[in-house]
Amino acid sequence: MNQIIRITLGLTLSCLVAGSVMGGAFILTAKAKKHNEHMAVQDTMISLLGYGKKNPAPSDLHLYQLYRYVIDEGGNKFLGYMVPVKQGESMRYGLLIITLEGAFKAFHELEITPEGALEPAERDSALRAVLKPPTAFGFADQTIIAKLEGRRLAYLLPGEFQGFKTFIKIMLAMDPSFKVLGLEVLEHEEDPGLGGDIERDYFENQFANKSFEKLKGLNVIKEPLPDEYRKYLEGKTGGLTKEEIDKIRETYRDQDIYALTGATISSQAVTDGVKGMARRFAYRIEVLDKVVASRNLPVAF
Amino acid sequence: MKPIGSSLIAWLSLLVMLLLVSGCGPEHRFIKGVSFKGENQITITFAGPVEETWAKNPANYKVYEKPDPDITLPISSISLSPDRTTATLAFRLPLNRGQAHIMSVKEIMAEGKSQGTAVLTVKKVYFGYLLSILLGAMIIKNFVFTKYLGLCVFFGTSQKKTTAVGMGITFTIVMVASAMMSWFMYQFVLKPMRLDFLQIVVFIGLVSLSVQAVDTILRKVNPALFKAFGVYLVLVIANCIILAVPLLLANNEYNAAESFMLALGAGVGFLVALFLMSSVRERLEVADVPPTYRGLPIAFITAGLFALAFMGFSGMSIF
Amino acid sequence: MALSKKTNSQLFFNGILAENPIFRLALSMCPAVGISTSVMNGILLGVAVLFVQVFSSCTISAIKNHIHPRIRIPTYTLTIATWVTVIDLVLAAYVPEAYKAMGIFVKLIVAFAIITMRLEMFAAKNPIVSSFWDAVGMGLGFLFGMVTLGFIRELLGSGTLLGYDIIGSRPLLFFVLPAAGFFTVGFMMAIFNTVELFFKRMKEKK
Repeated sequence: MNQIIRITLGLTLSCLVAGSVMGGAFILTAKAKKHNEHMAVQDTMISLLGYGKKNPAPSDLHLYQLYRYVIDEGGNKFLGYMVPVKQGESMRYGLLIITLEGAFKAFHELEITPEGALEPAERDSALRAVLKPPTAFGFADQTIIAKLEGRRLAYLLPGEFQGFKTFIKIMLAMDPSFKVLGLEVLEHEEDPGLGGDIERDYFENQFANKSFEKLKGLNVIKEPLPDEYRKYLEGKTGGLTKEEIDKIRETYRDQDIYALTGATISSQAVTDGVKGMARRFAYRIEVLDKVVASRNLPVAF
Repeated sequence: MKPIGSSLIAWLSLLVMLLLVSGCGPEHRFIKGVSFKGENQITITFAGPVEETWAKNPANYKVYEKPDPDITLPISSISLSPDRTTATLAFRLPLNRGQAHIMSVKEIMAEGKSQGTAVLTVKKVYFGYLLSILLGAMIIKNFVFTKYLGLCVFFGTSQKKTTAVGMGITFTIVMVASAMMSWFMYQFVLKPMRLDFLQIVVFIGLVSLSVQAVDTILRKVNPALFKAFGVYLVLVIANCIILAVPLLLANNEYNAAESFMLALGAGVGFLVALFLMSSVRERLEVADVPPTYRGLPIAFITAGLFALAFMGFSGMSIF
Repeated sequence: MALSKKTNSQLFFNGILAENPIFRLALSMCPAVGISTSVMNGILLGVAVLFVQVFSSCTISAIKNHIHPRIRIPTYTLTIATWVTVIDLVLAAYVPEAYKAMGIFVKLIVAFAIITMRLEMFAAKNPIVSSFWDAVGMGLGFLFGMVTLGFIRELLGSGTLLGYDIIGSRPLLFFVLPAAGFFTVGFMMAIFNTVELFFKRMKEKK
């Protein structure tokens, strides 16, 4: 009996000590983790816009985050956009509800700061305050609108879709006419060396400069990548003049995507995913802009 | 062996029947079924003949992908079967069949009057999805040859067919038991209390518990069986797969049926891998292998060949 | 096993060569095969294992007189799991890119037989200092093994080292493919065997 008590006490004590060590580590690292994640996403977005260490982003470049939700009110579905609105000198968030046909339904002010809006849990509680049960809502996707000197510079779309093996997470950058500015593959589980090459420059950069019309009908060609195009995509244009570089860019601008050797399905998956994301977004942003204009909402974008 | 085998089969078939019953049956009395066809078509089967003008009018159908209710997919043409009970809608662009689609059929005109409006879900059969998880874990994403887990135990017990099969079966039983318990703990304790970081400790704890439980139960219920398999129980804890499966099902947020399939597939896949390996190794024992390669090195190379073969299954999707 | 009679430096080198976990003891092979596709992965996982090994050994060695014999396995498991969780959280927070490349292998360190066995065979019976050096030796042996494998596979498979292009093209894509992990480990084991046989023959000749 004595033995069992000793064993139980010993085990319980060890569990508590272990638990507190792990809990402590969790609390200490959680903040660093969030911060690093946020910085990584920021860096990706800045580099997609063409800025970087050598070309720092100007101070009046602003990134506005929009969050799209699907709202279910008793069987009827609506789209809810959490948008930043100008309130004098500061910025707050509001919920703009649009019907499926693209008509205005409602606008609610939200009790949430731009920093808080980065956290899904905080967004949920802010929405819950204005959308009372039994109304249900679910997060759909997020868009970032970059504005420079008061004009829209680019749209940044994070997205996820089915790849060859599991999922592929990307960030797509488009200019206001929906021409592709750049593509960054963020996460995937494709085979290293085969499908994994979708994150290499010579694949991602093929999508840059494709016009929206070309993008809508974009396909994959199963031919080897021409050498000169490959050098251009990887930025290894050391010995070429500016005219030669421009010529390469023009020749391949309206070309379909050259598939990766041994990874045609991954290449097709990325192409289809990008196509779908771009088309859906172009439709939705037009609807959103129309509704915003018709009600004269003081949105920040 | 026989009583456990047959009762296992009985439970499995019951589960299968339950799934079939719950997964089928569309949600309107006049519609018998709706499914994907080819790359860009959906067929609807009605319970009786429908009026032709109504059926061929695209305005009566609204189809969208479940997560995008605001984007209606454009229909390019509709064809009706001669007996007017099956309508086939062809869409302008290929459909994403991996995604559930919602179709609302307005005011079905048949038998001279409206049969009401139907809202249907078009998706691949759920049971097919479950089977694909099972087959995936067993063959396409075999835990030993494609994911490189459980190798220590794998090489240790694959020398003879009898040890291999024994280890495989013991492992499958403990795997399913501990995976279900882990799923339960994750869904109802860890997630609601935001204690995700305790995953590792909790899962490995549950594994030890399962091993201990199976050990005790087997000792009492079937001593003969215990003598045959008992020695492998201790090795189960050292198997990376036993921890990988709970981590996977937590990561992918599987529900109970999907977790069960994953665990079963992992266990059976391990058994298959062990069996294949032991068959080869028994032959290698009597073959003429250079002295420095004898034992583990040649076993590794054999495993490499198997891994190459299993790579052929990569990307297969049956459902 | 009784108190070890080896000196600290002997323990250290023992872990790297004579009793190298991957190539001689044939333990912890899952990551050796699975993610030795690049030197960076090898370094990171090696460091993680070193951390867990050292801290677990020292912890167990410190409390070895208070562990009840009947619950020693759960105690070892609990200790290892705690330290694995800590290093997992730290890596996820500070090197997220590399952490994602390692998948679930960091979390799986808890199932590595090598660590539990080392605790059972050594740390539970020896003072803290010797346990520390033994753990460092074992951890470095693992790190050495992973880095060697990663070196071979990355150089031959992608033509790079630590991400820097060395060869400029892909000599043998095969080595980056997952299946090649098995082949590489098998060949390395054969090489270690040959070396051992060579030294044994040298000793016998004397």
